[in-house]
Amino acid sequence: MSTAQTGNELLVVEGLKKHFPVTRGIIFQKEIATVKAVDGVSFALREGETLGIVGESGCGKSTLVRCILKLLEPTAGRVLFQGEDITGLSRREMRPLRRNMMMVFQDPYASLNARKRVGFIIGEALELHRIGTPAERRRRVQELLEVVGLNPEHYNRFPHEFSGGQRQRIGVARALAVNPKLIFCDEPVSALDVSVQAQILNLLKDLQREFGLTYVFIAHDLNVVRHISDRVMVMYLGKAVELAVRDELYAQPKHPYTGALLSAVPIPSPDTGRARKSVVLEGDVPNPINPPAACNFHPRCPRFQAGRCDVDTPPLAPILDDHLVACHYPLERWPMDIAEQPAAAAAQPVESAG
Amino acid sequence: MLRYLIRRLLWALVLFIAVTFVTYVIFFLVPANPARLAAGQSATPERVEEVKHFLGLDRPFYVQYGKFLKRLVLEGSLGQSFVTRRSVNEEILRAAPITASLVFGAMVLVLSIAIPLGIFSALRPRSLLDRAAMIYVLIGISLPSFWIGLVLSYVVGFKLGLTPIAGYCEVFSVPEAAICGGLWDWAYHMILPCLTLAIVVAGTYVRFVRAEVMDTLSMDYVRTARAKGAPEPTVIRSHVLRNAMLPVVTMVGMDIGLLLGGAIFIETVFGLNGLGGTAIESIGRFDLPVLQGVVIFGAIAIIAFSLVVDLLYAWIDPRIRLT
Amino acid sequence: MSEPLLDVRDLRTEFSTDDGIVRAVDGVSFTIEPGQVLGIVGESGSGKSVTCLTVMGLNDAKFATSTGEVLFRGEDLLKAPGARLREIRGNEIAMIFQDPMTSLNPVHKIGRQLAEAVLLHEDVPRKQAYARALELLKAVGIPRAERRIDDYPHQFSGGMRQRVMIAMALINNPDLIIADEPTTALDVTTQAQILALLKRLQEDFGSAVIMITHDLGVVAETADEVIVMYAARIVERGHVRSIFNEPRHPYSWGLMGSLPRLDMNVERLYQIPGQPPSLLNPPAGCRFHPRCAYAMPICREQDPALAVTGTDPSHEEACHLDAETKARRAAELVSSLMTGAST
Repeated sequence: MSTAQTGNELLVVEGLKKHFPVTRGIIFQKEIATVKAVDGVSFALREGETLGIVGESGCGKSTLVRCILKLLEPTAGRVLFQGEDITGLSRREMRPLRRNMMMVFQDPYASLNARKRVGFIIGEALELHRIGTPAERRRRVQELLEVVGLNPEHYNRFPHEFSGGQRQRIGVARALAVNPKLIFCDEPVSALDVSVQAQILNLLKDLQREFGLTYVFIAHDLNVVRHISDRVMVMYLGKAVELAVRDELYAQPKHPYTGALLSAVPIPSPDTGRARKSVVLEGDVPNPINPPAACNFHPRCPRFQAGRCDVDTPPLAPILDDHLVACHYPLERWPMDIAEQPAAAAAQPVESAG
Repeated sequence: MLRYLIRRLLWALVLFIAVTFVTYVIFFLVPANPARLAAGQSATPERVEEVKHFLGLDRPFYVQYGKFLKRLVLEGSLGQSFVTRRSVNEEILRAAPITASLVFGAMVLVLSIAIPLGIFSALRPRSLLDRAAMIYVLIGISLPSFWIGLVLSYVVGFKLGLTPIAGYCEVFSVPEAAICGGLWDWAYHMILPCLTLAIVVAGTYVRFVRAEVMDTLSMDYVRTARAKGAPEPTVIRSHVLRNAMLPVVTMVGMDIGLLLGGAIFIETVFGLNGLGGTAIESIGRFDLPVLQGVVIFGAIAIIAFSLVVDLLYAWIDPRIRLT
Repeated sequence: MSEPLLDVRDLRTEFSTDDGIVRAVDGVSFTIEPGQVLGIVGESGSGKSVTCLTVMGLNDAKFATSTGEVLFRGEDLLKAPGARLREIRGNEIAMIFQDPMTSLNPVHKIGRQLAEAVLLHEDVPRKQAYARALELLKAVGIPRAERRIDDYPHQFSGGMRQRVMIAMALINNPDLIIADEPTTALDVTTQAQILALLKRLQEDFGSAVIMITHDLGVVAETADEVIVMYAARIVERGHVRSIFNEPRHPYSWGLMGSLPRLDMNVERLYQIPGQPPSLLNPPAGCRFHPRCAYAMPICREQDPALAVTGTDPSHEEACHLDAETKARRAAELVSSLMTGAST
């Protein structure tokens, strides 16, 4: 694989696919199509880094994480955690591994059981993994409450007694309880107000430094992803279209979709914001049941070249060190010009680079 | 739409087979000896064996079920009564119109009480009318149906003498010996039982309609309609009612099916020999084919009405048509 | 100067709840000129949406009471009878809501819902109303509009539904459009489409727009004038450039500093401590003082009024801090954001 493996990867994902069958039929359901929710995604995650995954709704980012965690059974591909292939493991065999991989959810209102006390919610994982005595567990929960910036005396309160931001802190404390190595954050701040969002993002960063955590951070907000990530993967219709070091990706995006995403984000500065030329994509994200052939993005791509983009599927291949892109005609310049068509010279295939 | 229709029909068929099977199993397991009953108290063991053989009760279970199903599907026959030797179909054909009159009559009353009452109390929550409606709901839900029936027949029928207190009159084919008949007599005899059943059922419906309307009133598209400048009656008529009535349609269909099989108390109170009465009678006589017939007929009624409801629903709600 | 299109004066809206009285809008005044785009920013519970629902007269009359004046071309909408309000709603003032998935009635065809808006206000034949609906669907960029006019809402994507909502708002050529978080529920690229569309149509139709949002980026890119709301009050207002280039209220500093930015790297975000206050029992004095890094004793006692303290006479803020400190802090913040931008 082109994702250089040096041996100290915490998590390696290889060619992961999740296809949902679409069936039709009166008695016998025959498969008439598949939704390729995740279609061959590979990446490696180093210990202590944060990988941001961005994409619009329906791009498969949440399904990808659920497959890695084996909450969904992947259709194909492998997931290696600390070098061990966990793809074929049974539910029971997964259990000891689960404490190393925790999740923080999007909706702090829905993801906490309203009938349980906060102490129980945070300590539940400890209990499930049979860690410590009840007294030790209680101490640990109070310690965790303090770590995430809540009052340890609020141990016996119910979730509804907390505000949205505080509930997300509880969600973080719950994920931290069993000292995981890897935390998957699925849109953890998108339901929160701006000022509270900053508190949670700072908290996640502080915890990472303190406990050496590794994050996979899913979000649709490119600003947030930029802030928290070391590397960023952009997904479109089930595929990774670009994967690069954060600064590289934001300063020199290569995939036209990444470019369009970046230029679509409003900038909170009237001078910069209004001066730039933005690329407004036409149309909607296509139906994943019947995605466009070859490069999924070609019908909306400002750099589309007939006979190539709709015929050959571009592989995710390195264009620079640590910068992978799946495009036949990657952007040469940034900010890109909407009318800018691939130069004749660039019309040469670039796939040999891989 | 056609695909949807076919799928619903096939599903109804599967349900039908499952229901008949379960019913048959249950009756097969009943620890009574029908042959002994059929043969009479004084019959010798040999005679009982003979009857058993005659009724087919000595065959293996699956053969009996197969025969039963074959007869049911091919001949549309539910078998013969152990006791009277009459065809079960005849029994049911006699009893079903009585129960149907009761149930449909009641349902018309229920809807004409519950829909306006539910809507008005939803539009004016905490108003006097709303509070009165909620008290009524509480009464309707908590009082047993036979008690309401007895009170009504005592007060309205006996004391005031406004209606008959019992009996049933045919509308169409009036038997020679009948003392009454025709549409007027039918309605005159049915009004009290229908009213009783309606009072019991309407409580739930008022509450349900009220909840649905309130729910719909808080929908974003209702706000959109108001923001367009629509006057409140228009908002209610074209954006609230249709949406709120969708679940009510489902409930009506299910309840009609259910009640056809089980308005037993009210039938008993008013001396109506409908399906409920027939079932009770057959239990007392261990007349399994008749009891089974009533149960299966009830089940078919439920399946048929839920099918009708589903189709109706698909017609009202555009979101369902495509699936 | 011409008469403003909308002149809101000392608007107060209270809701009676089981826990007590919530003052959701507490003394808000602003004006909007014809054709202008006014951005109202604030977090949830700041009163920005309630302000606009009150202008539209769409609060539930059973629980809400409003005082003050809402002068629409000189006519006080708070005192106007229901029939007059219905004449104005959807005709002279139209509204676009946040969630396009739930804002259209699922059981009616798109065409009928659009035509309804015409027929409610104009006595025209049904056919003409449908023709107008079709014209608007084309204007908002619905492909194959002739066919899609007979589709139901569930057959449209979220972005397309928001286009339908915009078509519905514009169908009677309103003078004022109130857009309540019109792009919050949409994906980034769809958001860009909708904002570009709104901007183009606003220019074509010449309507004034009130854009309510929590997204400073959306405001910066669309608004002419900006109002920042906090805990049911206006804390700062001014021209968009003035607000973003010289913010003068500590809450605005906090908001801008706490935003992760696409155009710069910040190691640690500035964070406003604590939570927005409960409106059941808001803090005395300046409502922001419990979370403010610059709070002084006077802030706890006296509620600051909106006042001009800088060079720009149209830029006001409600803060006791001295003008010098404000200017210095604003310059620091903006230059830190600038240097951030250049790295």
